[in-house]
Amino acid sequence: MMLAIEMQNLHKRFGDLHTVQGVSLTAPVGEILSLLGPNGAGKSTIISMLSGLLAPTEGDALVMGHSINREPEAAKACLGVVPQDIALYPDLSARENLLFWGKMYGLRGTVLQRRVDEVLEIIDLADRQKGCVEKFSGGMKRRVNIGAALLHKPQVIIMDEPTVGIDPQSRRHILDNVKELNCQGMTVLYTTHYMEEAAELSDHIAIMDHGQVIACGTHDELIQLVGEQTRIDLTLNVDAERVLTAWQQVEGVSRASAQDGLVTVLVDDSNRVLPRLFEAATIAGARITGVDIREPNLEAVFLHLTGRALRD
Amino acid sequence: MKLFDIALKDMLRSFRSLFAVGMMVAAPLLITGLIYLAFGGISGEQRDMSVIQVGLINADAPSPDISFNLGQTLVEMFTDASVVDWLNVRVYPDVAGARAALDRQEIGIAVIIPAGLSAAALSGEPSPDTMVLILHDPTLTLGPQVVGGMVMSLLDGVTGGRIAIEVIQERHAARGLAFAPTQIPALIGQYQTWYTDFQRATFHHPTQAALRLVAPGVDETAAPMSQILGTTMAGQMIFFAFYTAAYSMTSILREQEEGTLARLFTTPTDRTVILGGKFLAVILTVILQGAALMLFAGLTFGIHWGRTDSALLALVAQVVATAGLGVLLIALVKHSRQAGPVLGGGLTVLGMLGGLFTVGIQGMPAFLDVAALFTPHGWVLKGWRLALAGQAPNELLLPFFIAVAIGAAMFALGAILFRRRFA
Repeated sequence: MMLAIEMQNLHKRFGDLHTVQGVSLTAPVGEILSLLGPNGAGKSTIISMLSGLLAPTEGDALVMGHSINREPEAAKACLGVVPQDIALYPDLSARENLLFWGKMYGLRGTVLQRRVDEVLEIIDLADRQKGCVEKFSGGMKRRVNIGAALLHKPQVIIMDEPTVGIDPQSRRHILDNVKELNCQGMTVLYTTHYMEEAAELSDHIAIMDHGQVIACGTHDELIQLVGEQTRIDLTLNVDAERVLTAWQQVEGVSRASAQDGLVTVLVDDSNRVLPRLFEAATIAGARITGVDIREPNLEAVFLHLTGRALRD
Repeated sequence: MKLFDIALKDMLRSFRSLFAVGMMVAAPLLITGLIYLAFGGISGEQRDMSVIQVGLINADAPSPDISFNLGQTLVEMFTDASVVDWLNVRVYPDVAGARAALDRQEIGIAVIIPAGLSAAALSGEPSPDTMVLILHDPTLTLGPQVVGGMVMSLLDGVTGGRIAIEVIQERHAARGLAFAPTQIPALIGQYQTWYTDFQRATFHHPTQAALRLVAPGVDETAAPMSQILGTTMAGQMIFFAFYTAAYSMTSILREQEEGTLARLFTTPTDRTVILGGKFLAVILTVILQGAALMLFAGLTFGIHWGRTDSALLALVAQVVATAGLGVLLIALVKHSRQAGPVLGGGLTVLGMLGGLFTVGIQGMPAFLDVAALFTPHGWVLKGWRLALAGQAPNELLLPFFIAVAIGAAMFALGAILFRRRFA
C-alpha cells in the first residue's frame, strides 16, 4: 500500500509551548484523512509543517515519499494547500488569481490557460472569472481559494478548515468538491472541528487534543470506543452542580459532566435511564426543562476521551 | 521566470490602485504644475507676461553738422532685433501721449528722451532738463530695472567716449600735435559704432560676448522658467520616488496580512525567488515612474533633463537609492498600519533634510546643505541638479557613486532583515 502522507513522530515547539507532541499518522494514496479536534489542538501546526511553512522541531514527514526536511521543494510540488483563511489577491480577478498561482506551480502557456478553465468549471465560477475577488461573497472566495490549490493536479491536497464561516450552500459545494477530487484519486488531508464533516468525508479520522493524536481509526472504529452509548444533554431550572453527583450514581450512566448550565450524560440505554434521571432530579429539588438525545457520534467519542465537548 | 511573475503581479496590483498611481505620477506633476501656473506658465500667457512694454518719446534733435545723435541711438537700442523677443517698443510723439498709455497700462515703462541730450552728452555738462526720464507702473519691479540698466549702460558708454576724446586732446597737446575740433564728430561716430557692437555682443550674443555671466549648476541654454521647473520637478520626482519604492515594498506586508505570502511559501518556489520578485517589482516600478515623470514633465512643462547619458546616470542613482531605502524601511516595519506613519513622516523629514522641498529657494541656512549630505535624497538631488545643468556624466560620478553606495548598503541590510524574518 503506497502512502501519500507519512508523519513520523512530528514535534513542534514554540519556546515552552509544545504544540505538536510526537504525531505519527499515515494516509494511503486515494484516502481522505481528517484531523478532528478543537481549536488549538495542533491541527493547523501539522498542516503548516507538511506544507513547508514551519520546520518540525523533531521528526519528519514524507509526502509521496519526499521528506519535508530533506526535499521540501519536491514535497511541495506534490501538494495543493488550501489555507484556513482566504489567501487570494483581492484586487485581482478570479482568473488572474488562478493564473498567478498556476505559474507558481510551474504551469505556463496553453497548459496553464486550459487548466484554469477546467478549475473554473470545477469551482463553478466560469461565468464570474473576470470579477474582482474582493467583490465576491465569502463562499465564492472559498471556492477560488480551493481552486488555486487544484491547478497543478496535486497528488495530495491539504485542506485546513475550508468551510469555516460560510453559508450552508457553499459548504455543501465544497464538501461535494472534496468527494469529487477524492474520486479522481487525490489524497486529501482535511482538518475540521465539525464532526459532521469528518464523519461524512473521511476514510480515517485522527482525533487530536493538546498536540497529540488521542484516537485514530475509521468512523465506526472510533464510535466503538464509546460503545453504543447515547448522549443526553439536559437543561435544568437550577444549578447543574446540584444534580450532577446524583446523576453520576444512577445505574446505566457511564459519565456525566456539566458546562455552562448544560449537563451531558452518556448512557447505555436512554429509554431505561431517562426516567431515573428525572426521578433523581426531583429528589434533588430540580426540574428538567430540556432534553436532547443524541445517538453515538464523534463528539461523544471526544467527550469520552477528554471529558470535554468538542466545541470547547 | 517565477521572479518576473511575482514582480509583474505586484506591479499590476500597484498600477491598479488609484491611490498608488496618484502618488507615483499625478502628485509630483500636480505640485510642479501648480508652481508652473503660479509663475504664469500657460503657453502664450507666459510670453506675454515676460515681454516688457516700453513707450519711447524722442525729443532729441541734435545739430545735423555733427554725426552724433544720442536720442536716435537709444531708440535703436530699444528696437534692436536682438531684444524684440522680450521688449516691445511703441514710439509716442509727446510725453502726454506716453503718460496716457502708461495710465491705460498699454505700456509699463515710458522712456522720455529730452531735447538737447546729445549736446549735453558731448559737452559733458548735463542739466535736469537734459536728463533721460523713465516713468513706470509702480507695480512693476523687474522691467524698470532692466530698462534703466540699458539706458545707464549706454550713457556710461557715451561718457566713456567723451573721456576718451578728452584724453586724445590732452595727448595731442602734450606732444605738440594739432587736434582739429572737426575731427571730434568722426571720432565719436567711430566710438559709437564700436560701443553699440560691444553692447550688443555683451548682452545679446553670449557666444561672442566680452562679458559672460555664468551661474554654476545652471544650464545656460535653458529658459529661466524651465530651470526653476526642472529643479522643482526633480525635487518632487525624487520625493515621490522614495515614497513609491517604500509603498511598493509594503506589498510584502500586505501579502503577509492577506495570507498570500504564507501561501506562496507553500508552493515549490524558493523563498529567495519570492523576495527577489518583490525587490524586482520595486525597482521596475521606480524606473517606470521616473521615466514617466521625465516624459510627462518634458512634454507638459518643457523641462529639458540635460544630456541623455547624464540623466540616465541620475535616474539609476535615484532608482538604487530609493529601492534601497524602501526595502530597509519596510523591513523595519511589522505591519502595514505602521507603514503609513513611517512613509509619511520618515520620508518627509528625510526629504526636507535632503533639500527636496527647498530646491528653488536661495539663501537657505548652510547647515541644511550639510544635512543633505547625510541623506540619500541629497545626493540624488545633487546628481539631478548637475544633469539639469547640462553637465557631462563624469561630473555626476561623485553623487552617483555615493547615492548608489548608500542605496546598495540599505538594500542589502533590508534584504538580510527580510530573509531573517521569513527564513
